[in-house]
Amino acid sequence: MIPAAFDYVRPATLDEALGLLGKHGEDAKVLAGGHSLIPAMKLRLAQPKIVIDIGRIGDLRSIGERDGKIAIGALTTHYEIESSDLLGRSCPLLPEVAGKIGDVQVRNKGTIGGSCVHADPAGDWPAAMLALDAEFEIASPRGTRTVAAKDFFVDMLTSAVESGEILKFIHVPVTAKTAAYVKFAQKASGFAVAGVAAVVDQARKAVAVAVTGVAAKAYRATGVESSLRGLEISAATIATAAQKAADGVDALSDIHASAEFRVHLARVYAVRALELAASRG
Amino acid sequence: MVTTTENAPEVNASQGYFGRAMKRVEDPRLIKGIATYVDDLKLPGVLHAEFLRSPHANANIKSIKTDAAKKLPGVLGIFTGADVNDKAGTIPCASPLPGGKSPAHTVLAGARAYFVGHPVAVVVAETRTIARDALDLVDVDYEPLPAVIDPEKALEEGSPLTHPELGTNVAFTWSLPAGDVDGAFKEADKILKIRMVHPRLTPMAIEPRGCAASWHAGESSLTLWTSTQIPHLVRTLLPGMIHIPENKLRVVAPEVGGGFGSKLNLYAEEAVVSYLAMHLDRPVKWIEGRRENASATTHGRDQIADNEIAIQKDGTVLAIRSKIIADVGSYCQLLTPAIPTLTGLMLCGCYKLKAVRVDLTGVHTNKMSTDAYRGAGRPEAAYMIERVMDLVASELGLDPVEVRLKNMPESTEFPFTTATGLMYDSGNYQAALKKAQDLADWPKLLEERDTARKAGRLFGIGLSTYVEICALGPSKIMAAGGWEWACVRIEISGKVTVITGTTPHGQGQETSFAQIAADRLGVPIEDIVVLRGDTATAHFGRDTYGSRATALGGTAIVMSIDKIIEKTKTLAAALLESTPKEIEFKDGKFFINGNAKTALGWGQLASEAYVAKNLPAGLEPGLEASSFFEPPNCTYPFGTHIVAVEVDRDTGQVKILKYIAVDDCGKQVNPLLVEGQVQGGIAQSIGAALMEKTVYDENGQLLTGEFMDYAIPRAADIPDFVLGSTVTPSPSNPLGVKGVGEAGTIGATPAIANAVVDALSPLGIRHLDLPFTPERVWRAIQEKEGQS
Amino acid sequence: MKLSVTYAFKAQQEKVFAALVEPAVLQKCIDGCEKMEKTGEDIYAAHLKIGVAGIKGSYVGNIRIEEKNPPESFTLQAEGKGSPGWVKGTAKIQISPKGDGSELQCESEGQVGGVIAAVGSRLVEAAAKKMLGEFFRKLGQQLDG
Repeated sequence: MIPAAFDYVRPATLDEALGLLGKHGEDAKVLAGGHSLIPAMKLRLAQPKIVIDIGRIGDLRSIGERDGKIAIGALTTHYEIESSDLLGRSCPLLPEVAGKIGDVQVRNKGTIGGSCVHADPAGDWPAAMLALDAEFEIASPRGTRTVAAKDFFVDMLTSAVESGEILKFIHVPVTAKTAAYVKFAQKASGFAVAGVAAVVDQARKAVAVAVTGVAAKAYRATGVESSLRGLEISAATIATAAQKAADGVDALSDIHASAEFRVHLARVYAVRALELAASRG
Repeated sequence: MVTTTENAPEVNASQGYFGRAMKRVEDPRLIKGIATYVDDLKLPGVLHAEFLRSPHANANIKSIKTDAAKKLPGVLGIFTGADVNDKAGTIPCASPLPGGKSPAHTVLAGARAYFVGHPVAVVVAETRTIARDALDLVDVDYEPLPAVIDPEKALEEGSPLTHPELGTNVAFTWSLPAGDVDGAFKEADKILKIRMVHPRLTPMAIEPRGCAASWHAGESSLTLWTSTQIPHLVRTLLPGMIHIPENKLRVVAPEVGGGFGSKLNLYAEEAVVSYLAMHLDRPVKWIEGRRENASATTHGRDQIADNEIAIQKDGTVLAIRSKIIADVGSYCQLLTPAIPTLTGLMLCGCYKLKAVRVDLTGVHTNKMSTDAYRGAGRPEAAYMIERVMDLVASELGLDPVEVRLKNMPESTEFPFTTATGLMYDSGNYQAALKKAQDLADWPKLLEERDTARKAGRLFGIGLSTYVEICALGPSKIMAAGGWEWACVRIEISGKVTVITGTTPHGQGQETSFAQIAADRLGVPIEDIVVLRGDTATAHFGRDTYGSRATALGGTAIVMSIDKIIEKTKTLAAALLESTPKEIEFKDGKFFINGNAKTALGWGQLASEAYVAKNLPAGLEPGLEASSFFEPPNCTYPFGTHIVAVEVDRDTGQVKILKYIAVDDCGKQVNPLLVEGQVQGGIAQSIGAALMEKTVYDENGQLLTGEFMDYAIPRAADIPDFVLGSTVTPSPSNPLGVKGVGEAGTIGATPAIANAVVDALSPLGIRHLDLPFTPERVWRAIQEKEGQS
Repeated sequence: MKLSVTYAFKAQQEKVFAALVEPAVLQKCIDGCEKMEKTGEDIYAAHLKIGVAGIKGSYVGNIRIEEKNPPESFTLQAEGKGSPGWVKGTAKIQISPKGDGSELQCESEGQVGGVIAAVGSRLVEAAAKKMLGEFFRKLGQQLDG
């Protein structure tokens, strides 16, 4: 339970942080809320030589409207999102997801940016990010670039953020109230065995459904989406479409749930997410 | 979680303390964080030890290279089995069974490591961090061997052997032939067969283990502080291991953050740390990490039973034949073989079976050893017999309550001797059952189930009418004495010191023993201090386990107080110029019979006793007495738990909707403590029933070594309880107390199990094993629905 | 943990076989292989830094090439230990001509122990799949350009 020795530095600005990251390369790890990195360090699964604590970079902790969307700073905590009036009104999916993450202590410390960059296959945020087609603004010494959610979650524990880069902001659209996140939590860790985020656009008769916890990375359940396109959202249409919730996906298997059970849960929770989202209209 | 307690024993606050629901004196310091646990001890010059543990379940150790680690600044030494094993002995097993075969378990691995977590080397350094860093520099060359993991496969011809030198994976066999089993089976109308599995569990006390040892070179004596339930037993067993006389060893249990049986043991680390302190002539401290705790602290349960039950059409259960396989892990710790024998002894539950036959096989596998864990063998028994009663009911189309009533002894039949030869001291199973049904509003519950079922919901009701054996126990059946000791001292100031040989570690006897003493002595409770846990202070004791402390420790206190009162009567008589026969003692005062004006209080009398100017001839100074209480029998608490659950058909999740428990632990010293014990016991049972299981993969890797993977219940998992009690005093001790520490863990799991199976019964499911994880329940449902 | 991978090469069977038993090629194809030294006939000591994202561990161990049956098949045995635990794997490789090129089938079996087995079991299989996939992709690059 004791990490290997490491140096610790706490830059005051993003530029300073990027400079340090560039200088130390593979030897450095960025520390945000610490609730993924520190457990890994305590088990010595991660042994960075230098930890760059970006937790005090104030501009990265914010929730605000920008160009008709909502910009969330990467260091915004899950709790801040859970309790945000702005998000509650304009993008209610996010507070709903935030409230289901871990426990009170984790929500007070963990950050949305840290969580997304960590890209845990069972993390809650990726499902919402994919369902919302969020955009990730990534900073490097060369400037900033934007990556769409569908390209952001590359693989298990691998995001599009390259070494030397730091995630700055996540941009999410304003949505109707017809969105929901439901999950079957792994009893011990609280992580998603199957977590489904659904955004329903009743006017356009279109849905976005994204699933986390089931595969090596979160994915859009495109089979479900295309089955519902142009149809009235009803219990019957949802039930049929949701059968495709794990199509084309290699489900994970571990002591908590077999691949077969995960596939089943993806379908069950796709139904529950869509019904709940639609009921909020 | 809200608890409503029905019918707490009525207590008038101005009267005695016994029976009063008082807050604990221990709690302020615990809640404020100013209590002293092992890790809080500040020992000048202390060194830190860290253990290197085998990552292989079974491997020959070809070499251990320590040079690189030794060079790390701050490292004082690195020790392997070659360095310490002949100096720190082998782990004792106090309860070996005849013909048993187990390895001599040296404190560090010798030529072979045989479970993941087996300590292979120990590093001692100036700081804990340096010690941990040094572990990474120790290079062990392992030659992995096939791991023996499945206990049934381990018994097959040609299986790899956990210990090749033993020639077998059978650790022990034990049989309990009780009554004419064959005759009973011949006479039966029906024979039921059922296989039951009770998974392995990890106790997960909130404070992992830890110890610190200090060698006093001048006196050639050692002090060992250790997070233990059994300082006295450690003091008895450790000397032989580290070659130090018993009377040169002091063992102290400081504040201990939970034990639940996992600290009812003498561990390798305690011997190694003690030896290192002696060898290095500096104090040494070791604190266990959670993964170490999960892999190298004893596990619980892990039994597979094939049961045959002989029954009559009218619901009479005649006999049970049970073949039990107990996976005891790779070696035996203190009570490893004894635990499953308790299962056999309690297999009749609270029923008048004619005969029982238990054939037990203990199996060695490449896992950590099992030993006591809250309930220690009795939860397994209660689980089996209570599931059996429901199976009998469903097989015969009878009411599960009626089947139980049919087989129970009447309250007038006590003391009642079971088929297995145990003499249950007192009981009124019918009263507890009726009370539980009343609190549950049984008819309404049945209606609720009806309504739910008509709507297609999987709603189930389960009950368990359990009995258990505790307050261990008469010395004849215990390995090293089952008595308990107490010393009571009236100090010169009139204040009272009670010293108990039990070792409470969360049970609350600092409060309840003060309640007992306050009543018996007639002194304010604030004047009483209860000391425990230090063998230098409590110089005799048999410690805390088996729900024994209040029944046995409390009685020893009362015996000691009565001796003091006797002596004080003599002193008072002398002072009042009367005779002892004329002296009455009431409400803390000694006076000549009928003349309250002559009353003398403890303060005065204590002063006289110690200043000793006016003592009558032949009366020794001082007001102190100690006693050993040898119990004539164990005690047998009992109760009824009723549970209502609903199963989510789509996910297999089980939700407990209602929980009613009526427990009878005899007379209650402090109903608040009783309630706490029942709540905690039920919580652990909910864990065992719904989510807990220690998992080793096919290579013997422990996959549930962290709370990330081993689920224990949280507050949100615990339903609102309705708790009640009946009081059937025990004749086994003058207090009438039975013990309640383990009752909740024993009574609850079967009730939950019966409820879940009842919920699934409309689908044709007859039995399902623990734990009822969502996937297990879902698969059971799928299997049945696939068949229809 | 069992994994099965099939990979098609433009290169011929003999060329693929020769490349696979050549340590310099192996080192280039194993992502994170920092060192690979011959220590005996068909035995190589290796230093690997492998894992997923930030959860990388250093492992020291050896790789043995056995049951060589050129140009069709051979078996690779690897074992290593590091502070996150130990790894052990066997890969049975079969190469057969296919069209103008060749096809390789790899049946592998692996075990892990220590901390990674306990807390990272779901990562292990994913990491192994990824490593295996990467390995053959890189080999394909080496051979086919």
